[in-house]
Amino acid sequence: MHHYVGLIVLFPLIGLIVNGLFGRHIRSERVVGWIGSLAVGIPFLVAAAILYGMLGSPVEERSNTVTLFTWIAAGSFQVNAAYQVDQLSILMTLIVTGVGFLIHVYSIGYMHGDRGFWRFFTYLNLFIFAMLNLVLADNYVLMFLGWEGVGLCSYLLIGFWYEKKFAGTSITWTGDAANKAFWVNRIGDFAFMLGMFLIFREFGSLTFSTVMDSASSLAPGNSTMFWITLLLFIGATGKSAQIPLFVWLPDAMAGPTPVSALIHAATMVTAGVYMVARNSLLYALAPDTMMIVAVIGALTAIVAASIGLAQNDIKKVLAYSTVSQLGYMFLALGVGAFTAGIFHVMTHAFFKACLFLGSGSVIHAMHEEQDIRKMGGLAPVMPKTYYTFLISSFAIAGFPPLSGFFSKDEILWSAFSQGSVLLWAVGALAALMTAFYMFRMVTLTFLGTPRWAKDKHPHESPPTMTIPLIVLAFLAVTGGFLGIPAALGGGNALHHWLHPVFERALDRLPTAHEYSHMTEYLFMLVSVVIGVSGFWFGRKIYLANPDADDTFAAKAGGVFRTLSRKYYIDEGYMRGIVNPLVATSDRFLSRVVDTALIDGFVNGLAKVTASFSGVLRLVQTGVVQSYASMIVVGLLLVLGLILLG
Amino acid sequence: MPDIIFQSTKHFWPEITLALTFIAAMIFEFATKKRTTGTGILVLLGLAAALVQLPSAPSEPVSIFGGMYAIDPFSTFFKYVIIVTGMVVVLFSFQSQELKKESGHTGEYYCFIAAVTFGMVLMTGSSNLVMIYLSIELVSITSYILAGFSKSLRRSSEAALKYVIFGALSSGIMLYGMSLIFGLTGTLDLSGIRTALASGHAVTTGWSFAALMAAIVLMLAGFGYKVSVVPFHFWTPDVYEGAPITITAFLAVASKAAVFAVMIRFFYVAFFDNMLASTGVYSSFRNVDWSMILAVLSVLTMTLGNFVAIWQDNLKRMLAYSSIAHAGYMLMGVVVMSNFGLSAIMLYFVMYFFMNLGAFYVVMVIADKIGSENIDDYRGFGKRAPIISVGLSIFLISLTGLPPTAGFVGKLFLFSSVMASQFIWLAIVGVLNSVVSLYYYARVLKNMYLREAPDGDESPIVFSKVTSAVVILFIIPNILLCFFYQPVLTFAQRSIAILLPGL
Repeated sequence: MHHYVGLIVLFPLIGLIVNGLFGRHIRSERVVGWIGSLAVGIPFLVAAAILYGMLGSPVEERSNTVTLFTWIAAGSFQVNAAYQVDQLSILMTLIVTGVGFLIHVYSIGYMHGDRGFWRFFTYLNLFIFAMLNLVLADNYVLMFLGWEGVGLCSYLLIGFWYEKKFAGTSITWTGDAANKAFWVNRIGDFAFMLGMFLIFREFGSLTFSTVMDSASSLAPGNSTMFWITLLLFIGATGKSAQIPLFVWLPDAMAGPTPVSALIHAATMVTAGVYMVARNSLLYALAPDTMMIVAVIGALTAIVAASIGLAQNDIKKVLAYSTVSQLGYMFLALGVGAFTAGIFHVMTHAFFKACLFLGSGSVIHAMHEEQDIRKMGGLAPVMPKTYYTFLISSFAIAGFPPLSGFFSKDEILWSAFSQGSVLLWAVGALAALMTAFYMFRMVTLTFLGTPRWAKDKHPHESPPTMTIPLIVLAFLAVTGGFLGIPAALGGGNALHHWLHPVFERALDRLPTAHEYSHMTEYLFMLVSVVIGVSGFWFGRKIYLANPDADDTFAAKAGGVFRTLSRKYYIDEGYMRGIVNPLVATSDRFLSRVVDTALIDGFVNGLAKVTASFSGVLRLVQTGVVQSYASMIVVGLLLVLGLILLG
Repeated sequence: MPDIIFQSTKHFWPEITLALTFIAAMIFEFATKKRTTGTGILVLLGLAAALVQLPSAPSEPVSIFGGMYAIDPFSTFFKYVIIVTGMVVVLFSFQSQELKKESGHTGEYYCFIAAVTFGMVLMTGSSNLVMIYLSIELVSITSYILAGFSKSLRRSSEAALKYVIFGALSSGIMLYGMSLIFGLTGTLDLSGIRTALASGHAVTTGWSFAALMAAIVLMLAGFGYKVSVVPFHFWTPDVYEGAPITITAFLAVASKAAVFAVMIRFFYVAFFDNMLASTGVYSSFRNVDWSMILAVLSVLTMTLGNFVAIWQDNLKRMLAYSSIAHAGYMLMGVVVMSNFGLSAIMLYFVMYFFMNLGAFYVVMVIADKIGSENIDDYRGFGKRAPIISVGLSIFLISLTGLPPTAGFVGKLFLFSSVMASQFIWLAIVGVLNSVVSLYYYARVLKNMYLREAPDGDESPIVFSKVTSAVVILFIIPNILLCFFYQPVLTFAQRSIAILLPGL
C-alpha cells in the first residue's frame, strides 16, 4: 500500500494548480471550495488505506521508503525526493489531512463572499502540500523545504486580509503581523539550517535513516550532538512558538480563523514537535538538550497559560492556550515521553481545531466582534457551536474520559516519573490555569446575559461550518481512547504503535523509576481535581460578575497588568533588540557603511568599468580592413606567446 | 570498398535524411513557387525525421566511411541540440514579420536552413581534416547567404559581405594550418595524427615543433573565428545585428554547438592525453602550457564580450556581445578538457539553448510589433506587455546565471569543473564577468519595469496567443532546469564518450 504515498502529496498539488490557475475564472464558490477540500480529503482516504495495509503487516515491515526521483546528486552528496512511510509519519499525515479536510469544508462557509475566495483555497492547498512534504520527507532537505513552505503559507495566510487593521502588540496592520511571524521564524529557520549543516558534517548524509544508523553507534553526552539537537530545537521554538520565539503566534491571529485553526493550532505549529520526535535518537544522545527542551516546554506552558488568564480577545485566549499546550508537548519530549508528546499533538489537533472553528463561528455570528466582554448569552442562539465548544473546553481542561485527559495526564505523569516533581508542579499549575481561562471564556462568551448591542442578530452558522465542528467535537471526546494507560486497564494502543519509531532512542534513555499503580491513580486524581476546580472557579466567578477582571485589576493591579500586557515581552524585544538594530542599521550601516563606503566603492568601480569598456569599444570600428589586420595581429600574438613563452 | 559504404550507411541515416530534406525542399520550392510556408513545413518534417533517428544511434563509438566520420554519444548529443535548434528556428521563422517582407523567396530560406543543419551535424562527427574542412565550408557558405537574406536592408547586405570576407580569411588560415599538419604527420586522419605525434616521428627538431605550434594556432584561429573567440570575433556583432533575427539565433546556438563539438574532437582526439582525462593534460605540447593559452583566450573573450555589451543600445547587438561572452565561458570547459568539463559544456549548451532562443524570440516579436530593437524603446513594457516582459526578464536572468534559472545551474557546473581542475583564478574571473553581465542585462529590466513609456503611453501591446504560449514554453524549462537538471546532466555525462583510436 505504501507505494501510493505519492498520491497523498499529488492531490493537494493538483488542487493548488487548478485553483491557482483557474480559480479566478470559476464563478461558483462551491466548485472552488470543493476542489480544494477534495484535494485534501482524498489523500486522507489514501493515508487511511496505507494505515490499514500497515496494520495488516508485521511490525518490522511497517517502515518503508518510497523514492520518487533523485533530486540533487553532487559527488557524495545525494538527496532524493523520497517519502518515509512509517508509524509516525502516517499518523501525522492522517492528522494533517483529516483535520485539514474538515477545516477546508468549514472554510467554504466561513469565507463565503470573500473577494479572495479562490486565493484562500489555493494557499490552503499549498499549505497542505508543504506540510505533507514536511512530515513524509525521508531527509532533512525535503523536510526543510516543507518547513519553509509552511512558513511561507503561514505568512501569506496571516496577511490574507492585508488591507485590514489589526490591533496587536506594536502592530496596527494585518500585514505587519504576517511580517512579524516571518521575521521571528527566520531566526528559528537559520538555526535549523545550521543544525542541518552540522549533521551533514558529522554524518556525511542528510537522509534520516542513514543519520540514525550512524548515530546509533555513538555514546550519549557527545558535544556535537548537543549542538545539533540544540540548533534543531531553536528551529522548533520558532515554528512551534516556544520561549523565546513564541511572540509571533498570538499576532498571527490576524489571519482568517480557519487559518488559525489549521496552521496555528492543529498542524504547522506542531511541526517542531514532530521534528524533535523524528530526531528522538539524536536527542537521546544529548541529555543536556533534553533537559533544556523540558524546561523550556514547562516554562512556556505556564507563562502562556498565565497570559491567557487576562486576555479578552477570544482568538488571543486560544492562541496563548495553543502556545501553552505546545509547551506541554515539548515538556513530554524533554523527559523522553515521545509517544506522549505525539499523543498530545493528536488530541490537541482535535479539540483546539474545534475550539478555533467554534470561535470562528462566534465571530461570524457577532459580525467580526472578537472581544468576549461584549458577548455573553450566545448559548441559546447558537446551540451547536456552544455544545461543541463546551465539549472541547472540557477536553482541554482534562476532564475524564475526554481525549485531553489521557494525553495531558500521560505528560504530567511522565514529567513526574521520568523528570522531576518541579516539572510536574509547573505543568499541574498550568493545567489549573488552562481550566480556569477556558471556562472564563466559555462563561463570558456563551452564558449569562447578552452584552452585545441590540442591532446585532447572532445566528447559528450554516451546516458546512457546524458539521466539521460536530465531527471534531466527537473526535475530541473519543480521540483519547487510543492511549488509555495500563493503570486504567487500557492497552495504550498508540504507545505500542509508535514504539518501533522511538525504540532506539528509548534504549539510550535512563530507565524510568517504577511506581505503583496507586501512585499513578493519586496523580490522576490530582489532575481531575485541578481540572474540576479550574472549571468551577472560572464558571462561578464570571457567571456571577462578568466584570470580575476589573476587581482583579483593582486588587492586584501590578500582576494583572503584567499578565494582560504579556509580561512586556514584546516591548522588551522592541526596546532591547529591534530598536537598537534599526538605529544601528539606519545611522551606521546605511549612512556610513552603505552610502559612503559601499556606494563609493561600487560607483568608483562602475566608473573604471565604463571607461575600460569605452576603450574596448573603439576597436570595433566597422571597417573590414582593420578587423582583418586585427585578426592577423592576434594570431601573431598567440603564436609569439607560445614560441617565446 | 562497397562493403564499407554499406556498413557505414546504416549509421548515417540521420545525415542522409537531412541531405534528402534539402534536396526535396529545393524541388518542392521549384515546383510550387508560391506556397513558401509549405517548404518550411517540409523542412520541419525532415528535421523531425532526422531527430527521431538519433536515439537509435549506437551507444558505443563507431568509426564509419574509413575513418572519415565518427558516430559516438558525444556527437549525438550535439546533433540533438543542433537539430532541435533548427526546428525551433523554422518555427520562429513562420512568425517572423521581417522575413515576410522578403516574400517571393522565403522558400529558399528554409532550404538553406536544412542545408546548414546538415553541415553542422556533419561537423559534430567529422574525424578527418578534409571532412572537418568540408563541413565547416558547407555551413559557412550557407550562412553567408542566410545572413544576407534581408536584401532590402542595407545592414543585412553589409553583414553578409563582412561575413564572406572574414569567412574567406579564416578559411584560408585554417586550411594553411591543416596543410602544415599534413606536412608534418603525413595524415589527415585525427587518430593518425595522434599516432604520428605519439611515436615522435612528426616532431623531430625545434623547427618542426615550431611549425606544429603554428599549425595548431592557425587551426585554433579557424575554430575561434567560428565561435567568435577574441581576437577573432570582429565579424560577430555586425553579422548578428544585420542578419535576420532567426538566423542570428541559429548562429548563436546551433553553429556554436557544432564548432565546439568539432573543436573539442580535434583537440581531444589528436592532442589530448585521454588517459589523464581527469586531470587534463594536452600531452603533445609538453613544453607549452596549452591550457594556459586557452585560458587566456577564454578570459579575453568573456571580458571583451561583457564589457563592450555594456555600451550597446541595440538589444540584438547586445545579445551578440553576450554570446561572445558565453563562448568565453564555454571555452573554460575546453581549457580543462576533463570529463567533468566536457559534461559541463554539454549541460551548458542545453541551458543556453533555452535561454538564448527565448531571448531572441522575444526580441523578434517585439521588433515585429514596434519596429525597433533599441533598448530605450522597451520603456514601460512591464505594464504594457506583462507576459512577454516577464519572459524576457527570466531569459536575461538566466543568461546572467542567477538562480532560480537554468543559467545558474549551467554556470555552476562550468565553474565547478574549472575549479576541480585547479584553475581557481579562472573560475573567479568567470564569476566576476557574470557580475559585469548583470549590469547590462539589468538595464533592460530597468527600462521595462522602472521607467515609463516615453510618451506616457500605457495602452497594452497585444501579442497573439501563440506568441505568449511560445514565451511560456521557454520560461518553463528555464525555471524547471534549475531544479530538475539531473536528467540532462546524466544524459550529458553519459554522452562524453568520444571516438578514440584503438577503441
